[in-house]
Amino acid sequence: METTHLSQHISSRFNEDLEAVRADLLAMGGLVEEQLRRSLAALADADSALAGEVVRDDAKVNRMEVAIDEECLRILATRAPTAGDLRLIVAIIKAITDLERIGDEARKIANIALRLATLERPADRYREIRHLGRLVEGMVHDALDAFARMDVDAALRVAQHDRHVDEEYESIQRQCVTFMMEDPRQIRRTLDVTWAARALERVGDHATNIGEYVVYMVHGEDIRHTRIEEVETRIRPRADESDEA
Amino acid sequence: MPRQPFALTLKMWGFMAVRLLITLALGLAVGLITGRVFAGLFVTLLLYTGWQLANLFRLDHWLRHRSLMDPPILGGVWDDVVTQVVRLHRRKRYHKQRLLTVLHELRDSTAALPDGVIVLNRSGEIEWLNRMAAQLLQLRGRSDIGIRIDNLIRQPEFVQYLAGTDFSAPMVLQTGTAPETWLSLHALPYGEGRRMLLVRDVTRQTRLESMRKEFVANASHELRSPLTVISGYLETLATDPALDPQLAPPVAEMRRQADRMAAIIGDLLVLSRLEAKDAQVEGEPIDVAAMLALLRKDVLARPQRPATVSLDIDSADRLLGDDIEIHSAFANLVDNAAKYTPAEGTMTLRWWTDGAGAHFSVADTGPGIPAEAIPRLTERFYRVDAGRSRATGGSGLGLAIVKHVLQRHGGRLEIDSVEGRGSTFTCHFPARRIVPAPVDPTHS
Repeated sequence: METTHLSQHISSRFNEDLEAVRADLLAMGGLVEEQLRRSLAALADADSALAGEVVRDDAKVNRMEVAIDEECLRILATRAPTAGDLRLIVAIIKAITDLERIGDEARKIANIALRLATLERPADRYREIRHLGRLVEGMVHDALDAFARMDVDAALRVAQHDRHVDEEYESIQRQCVTFMMEDPRQIRRTLDVTWAARALERVGDHATNIGEYVVYMVHGEDIRHTRIEEVETRIRPRADESDEA
Repeated sequence: MPRQPFALTLKMWGFMAVRLLITLALGLAVGLITGRVFAGLFVTLLLYTGWQLANLFRLDHWLRHRSLMDPPILGGVWDDVVTQVVRLHRRKRYHKQRLLTVLHELRDSTAALPDGVIVLNRSGEIEWLNRMAAQLLQLRGRSDIGIRIDNLIRQPEFVQYLAGTDFSAPMVLQTGTAPETWLSLHALPYGEGRRMLLVRDVTRQTRLESMRKEFVANASHELRSPLTVISGYLETLATDPALDPQLAPPVAEMRRQADRMAAIIGDLLVLSRLEAKDAQVEGEPIDVAAMLALLRKDVLARPQRPATVSLDIDSADRLLGDDIEIHSAFANLVDNAAKYTPAEGTMTLRWWTDGAGAHFSVADTGPGIPAEAIPRLTERFYRVDAGRSRATGGSGLGLAIVKHVLQRHGGRLEIDSVEGRGSTFTCHFPARRIVPAPVDPTHS
């Protein structure tokens, strides 16, 4: 199956290079997941020290992006990979951009947490944001797992979760509008909550993108801007074939 | 396994030899009759060899397709050979089966272990994992074999731990959100670059530990307020001129004990604060020489003190650390030495730096510590002997505080002692904590 194609190269150096750059991508993913988790914790616990750390550590994510980008270019230039290997490198180059953006969104949430930490917390500790955060964290985690396992089914499931995230985001927005009308003094804080929800919604979109790169990497099929049902019909028969092979 | 008796084998070979002789005699006879002796012998031997070759061919054919065919019946020694082969084969199959059974049992028992076990190859790919490991780390079991473990467990601390070389201790990883789970992961290197990863659920222990810490902190905090009230009234009572003179000694004793209790609670709070911040401190450069000079002055100001308190500063280097914590650790050590050194004794404070790092030591000429007590000395409320520290009014927590402070600075405490001669307590700090002394422009 496709998952084993990495180990079929005659040149083991090439193999090691590919494996190493993939591991780097997933390590970067791990750091981004941690950043997202910590930014949400900082918001819920009004922990300004933790929020400050998240803002500071965003530089680490950026450094990793640059390093992986360089490594991918080096492999492209010196090894001239083809077929599945080329798709892996392309998918990695695209995925690091999305991961870096997720890192930026985490930094935004941390900045909002810094601002909100000076105000009194609502009794529910931003329950809606925490709920949305858990959904989105799960999506990022599943998308990266799918990348590690080259698992198309799991990657497609990530895209399905994005709908829940959108619905949740809509409902938070409606709620915030109501709050603002009820009490205009709360507008500043409510706006911040909306921004945090917006950031999380964007993270969900980036996670979906990563899922799409997994499908591209495994099947060579570009499923961006395609409805899920259509994707299923395009991917399924192939998936069955490769199972039989 | 029963072996063919030697006599029987000999008989069989004898039979073969007799058969060869009969064949040769037959050939000779035919040769004599036809008058061509050599041609007769030649033809007979050719036939004999051909027959044997045919047998050899059948044997070879059977060996190649053994699983599909019954053993051939070839007669004579040939049958003997076939029997031996069949027997060898049967024995091999028996041993293979036994090995497989043992292997399966071993694998089943490992799978049933309450701890997770993952076998990693040289490049960190999963080679095998048991059910518990898959469950704890949310892996998929068989289909995750061949995938690098750090691609699936991506927490930066774990990736760092696995990439490092120090596997002497397990690492604790927090996974899952509400309810959180704490897992202890321990990589054990074996063979050539292979590692076995032990995974254990330590959620319960971690919760208990944090509950214990919180309890100690809260209890100490809550005890402090009533104690302050008691101390306040005792102070008023002691200074009250109308107090019955008979009651003066008990009130004084009560005040002393209340002060001691306050000291214990204070130390408990310091300890729990140190425990709460378990990460290493960065801190700022501390002028140790100046700190030690002040500590020496404090000792000299005591009513009961050792005759000589010498200060031996070999380095002007600063120590990178938390000012308050380092002061409390050094003060505890100096205080201990001052208490245990007799009035005519000597106490020496030393501060020096070398290639291994920075060092601070306190040497006294006190009663010393029995060797068996030294390892337990930093335990909370540990007493070398029941009377000793109570008489001097210590809290029993001083050395525990020293140990924690040193841990937070990457250092360690060394205790040397000879009973009846004195003790030396040395704090060792790693070299990266040394900051060269700033050059004073007025002196250069």
